Amino acid sequence: MDENRRNFLKKAGSAALGLGCGFPLLMAGCSTNGHSSEENSSSPNQWAMVIDVQKCKEPAIRAACIEACRKEHNLPTNPPPNQPAREVKWIWSDKFETAFPDQAHKYLAENPADLQVLLLCNHCTEPACVKVCPTAATWKRKSDGIVMMDMHRCIGCRYCVVACPYGSRSFNWRDPFPDRNDIDKQARKEYPTRSRGVVEKCTFCAERIRLWQERVDKDPKLLESEPAPIPACVEAANRVAGGEGALRFGNLGDSQSEVSRVLRDQNTICRQLALGTGPNVYYLV
Amino acid sequence: MSNIDPDKMVDQLTRPIRKTSAFYYVVVLALLMAVCWGLFAWTCQLTRGLQVTGLNNSVAWGVYITNFVFFIGISHAGTLISAILRVSGAEWRRPITRAAEAITVFALVLGASQILFDLGRPDRALNVILYGPLRSPLLWDVVCISVYLLSSIFYLLLPLIPDVAILRDQRLVLGWRKELYRILSFGWDGNPEQKRRLEKTIGIMAVLIIPIAVSVHTVVSWIFGMTIRPMWHSTILGPYFVVGAIFSGIAAIIIAMAVLRKVYHFEGYLKPIHFNYLGLLLLTMTALWFYFTLAEYLTIGYGALPEEWHVFEAKVAGEFALMFWIMVGSMTVAFFLLLFCRSKWPIGGTVAASLFIVVGMWIERYTIVVPTLVKLTGRGYPPGMYYPSWVEWSITGGSIAGFILLYVLFVKLFPIISIWEVEESEEAVVEKLANMKRYFPCVSSAPTES
Ligand code: SF4
Ligand code: SF4
Repeated sequence: MDENRRNFLKKAGSAALGLGCGFPLLMAGCSTNGHSSEENSSSPNQWAMVIDVQKCKEPAIRAACIEACRKEHNLPTNPPPNQPAREVKWIWSDKFETAFPDQAHKYLAENPADLQVLLLCNHCTEPACVKVCPTAATWKRKSDGIVMMDMHRCIGCRYCVVACPYGSRSFNWRDPFPDRNDIDKQARKEYPTRSRGVVEKCTFCAERIRLWQERVDKDPKLLESEPAPIPACVEAANRVAGGEGALRFGNLGDSQSEVSRVLRDQNTICRQLALGTGPNVYYLV
Repeated sequence: MSNIDPDKMVDQLTRPIRKTSAFYYVVVLALLMAVCWGLFAWTCQLTRGLQVTGLNNSVAWGVYITNFVFFIGISHAGTLISAILRVSGAEWRRPITRAAEAITVFALVLGASQILFDLGRPDRALNVILYGPLRSPLLWDVVCISVYLLSSIFYLLLPLIPDVAILRDQRLVLGWRKELYRILSFGWDGNPEQKRRLEKTIGIMAVLIIPIAVSVHTVVSWIFGMTIRPMWHSTILGPYFVVGAIFSGIAAIIIAMAVLRKVYHFEGYLKPIHFNYLGLLLLTMTALWFYFTLAEYLTIGYGALPEEWHVFEAKVAGEFALMFWIMVGSMTVAFFLLLFCRSKWPIGGTVAASLFIVVGMWIERYTIVVPTLVKLTGRGYPPGMYYPSWVEWSITGGSIAGFILLYVLFVKLFPIISIWEVEESEEAVVEKLANMKRYFPCVSSAPTES
């Protein structure tokens, strides 16, 4: 009798194992298909950026943007020597032909080798990084379309790093602040420091967006004078002479916003559109 | 099989458990040292972070992920092969199954730990279970590999029951091992009812384990296949990985069998014919592997989409050409060894081919993981080449040593050739013959269905 029961348990157990294996896969298949409807329909809002490539030819403008972002988000300022590929960067500048491999044909008016463009996370509509993250440490925020990053949940598997087609994600190969004194000296107290072994990337200055949102929620009239939050890089570019409007930021869900207007009136391109990730950073060339 | 006295057989097959030679201690010590070296390297990595590896933002995955795929591949040796042979009623499997099933369990353990070595924050690994969204292919792996590990352990322990009962009844060993055998024999006394049930459960498990094993290597390939990266995003990757896994798995069993045969004098059990048959299976898999490789590379090379072409070119004629052609070369050598030397020289021939295959398959995994990342375009990264560091090699070496060590310890605890299954060979032959008679044309008019 005892034997009988054990046998039954074994069979039941093995059947459960078999089912347990197939079911999650099925569910997962459905959930990957469903993500577009689930995450985008809830809100039409999507923050986006338009970058004027011609204006950004000026190295001072690009440098100002990159520096402002570094300061704002406590990026380690000391990239390891001889290891350029280990630098932590949110916004950076690279050759047109590496950023737009599908646009750089031989007869381009300008020698693409000389043309530098500003690059950052595209806050994709169908982000490749979000799909693969096994902990949801990176996710697409439903309310405004920002692809967020939780550096305190990330396990550092770097799946998102290999999945993002735009090179927007950096891993902390070493301690961002090896010297505790550095934290006191350089760190902006308002921005969290992170540990070694996690991934980070541009968040469109989500912290500024939150402050702006709080102000607007309190006093909706503010929307007229301050129609959109201003990310650190945009602010820095505007401050440089000739950099006014080199970077523009706004809500695509609002047809009156500055970015919507620019996109309507002028021709813009995106990085690697063919991949279907739906980037939300546009380039005026 | 020549008639063999059961007592003598039990005596022969339990000898590795009862007698320990000085050589055994030397081997265990050497393996332990290698494992400790690997652990030391891991401590270095834990204290200083992944900067001690050769990885960077551009090539963010390297040797650890290669090892992961490789070990999971090896794990298909056992359970899948033994299950397929069981289900298809191949009687020659009897002395092989245990050795194969043990490989599965240990390779899975080592394979899964590679992921832990790869994480930037291994202390947070549980977040995958706490927060993991089902859309992530990595989560599919966690689910499938855990199911596979549990069911392989179960599938290893089930057929062990009668053998462990023999050890229990022999009262040869004392102390904790005696207790272990008492527990693991689950009150087995060998009555026909118990036997019938055991065989039935093993039968069910053997059938169940085949789809589980196939799913495991498929989802491993989907880690790559589900991304939109050139030469990863390929529908062929699932079956290609499964074939590669069975392929390297069989090679691993052949090597393990040859070593066991030599060291423990199992010549009477692991005979040339076993190597010959496994070699034939291996030959088939080699041909399949060539077919898949050709299909994959020719399609990509012919289509020559710029993104894929960069990777393709690097593999065939660029930075990775040496590795790539070493891989193709070893598989070719293995193929001809199996084709021409298998029947004349079954043990030497298949073992040599297996060694080529195991090394070739590690390189295959490497040339799938790394070149894609090195040659990606459009990311706006400084180009990053990848050279694994001493830490990565040490952890790899330690893992291989750890795998062998677990296996060696297993051999010391349990009979590596299933005693009861071999004992039953003769009954099986009678049964099989009776069964085969049913295929024959009826001589009398009366149907002979039983
Ligand atoms: S650019 Fe890369 S990191 Fe940013 S949302 Fe798109 S896929 Fe993710
Ligand atoms: S590295 Fe972090 S954010 Fe990226 S996929 Fe892994 S857990 Fe998610």
